[in-house]
Amino acid sequence: MFFALIGILIGVVIGFLLPFTYNTAYSLYISVAILACLDSVFGGVRATLENKFDLVIFISGFFGNSIIAAFLAYLGDRLGVPLYYAAIFTFGNRLFENFGKIRRSLITSKKNKNQTEELDR
Amino acid sequence: MKREPKFIILMFSIILGVTISFQLKNKLDVYAPATLVSMQETKAEIEVINSEIEELKKVEKDYEQKLEKLEILSKKNNNAGEVIQSMKKDIEKHKILSGNLTLEGPGIIISLYDNMEDRSEDLGYDINNDVIHDVDILNIINDLRVAGAEAVSINNQRVLSESEVFCNGPSISINKRRTGTPFIIKAIGDPKLLSAAVNAPGTYGDGLKNGLGKGLDTTVEDNLIIESYNKTLSYRYAKPRGEGD
Repeated sequence: MFFALIGILIGVVIGFLLPFTYNTAYSLYISVAILACLDSVFGGVRATLENKFDLVIFISGFFGNSIIAAFLAYLGDRLGVPLYYAAIFTFGNRLFENFGKIRRSLITSKKNKNQTEELDR
Repeated sequence: MKREPKFIILMFSIILGVTISFQLKNKLDVYAPATLVSMQETKAEIEVINSEIEELKKVEKDYEQKLEKLEILSKKNNNAGEVIQSMKKDIEKHKILSGNLTLEGPGIIISLYDNMEDRSEDLGYDINNDVIHDVDILNIINDLRVAGAEAVSINNQRVLSESEVFCNGPSISINKRRTGTPFIIKAIGDPKLLSAAVNAPGTYGDGLKNGLGKGLDTTVEDNLIIESYNKTLSYRYAKPRGEGD
């Protein structure tokens, strides 16, 4: 959980130091892709907490989801239908879901530790 | 190998952070929520537009009244004289507006002439500083218009929207006619305002007179006569668009 946040912070600092920028026309696609990446990272954190982490699934999800989300946004722009809403809803939903599961597993693991400590005494 | 997933997530979250910061760098105020300031701005805009609408409604009422009058006049077929009279009034009004009528009223006369002092032995002497240029006249005319001049003429050439003031060597052409110094500018309007627009400290006229030493005299007249525009206006390129009024 915390290493993911630390990683994001490090990335933000690196990104601000790097001199690259892109065209503002793409910002919608990038923002949807960011949402997808955020979802993947939270999913990865959750998987590690549940000891189900799989490298291939994580990486494919990270890139695949973001590319599909950006593509959906682009397609929606072409068709005149705001398709990126689909990406925002699903990934936003999953983000909360993942966060809820992370929270629960963290709390339960803490409780378990406390119980074992008590039992040790 | 137990630390591996954490490390990978760290790496990928760094990538995520980089993209997030790239996104933050592109300052997007398109999605900014409505702030109090923007709300007030739009409110002010709406008020301005509403006042414009009211003014337009007033104009519409004026025209409706005119139309009613004309309709009443047209119904009274027997006294066509009234129709003719009202039309004559209209013609006069339009003549005044188009500059085809000699006008009289209070105003000022400005005479502009070159600096007569012989300064040819001064250091850095430039004759351009002593001569009245077209720019000087244009600026003074503009100042007069700002002060509310209703009719302006230069050397008895009426200045209208089409009139040019063009430098032609030592002379200046106005309405395609050349004239030389002294340039007598007549303007009808509030004499106090007009003379202030030329003589007040800091104005262009003041700069000409006291800064460069060119000649500029103003006299206030109670009854000034300004000649009409002596050519007929004709447009070759501009055409009325739509019905208009």
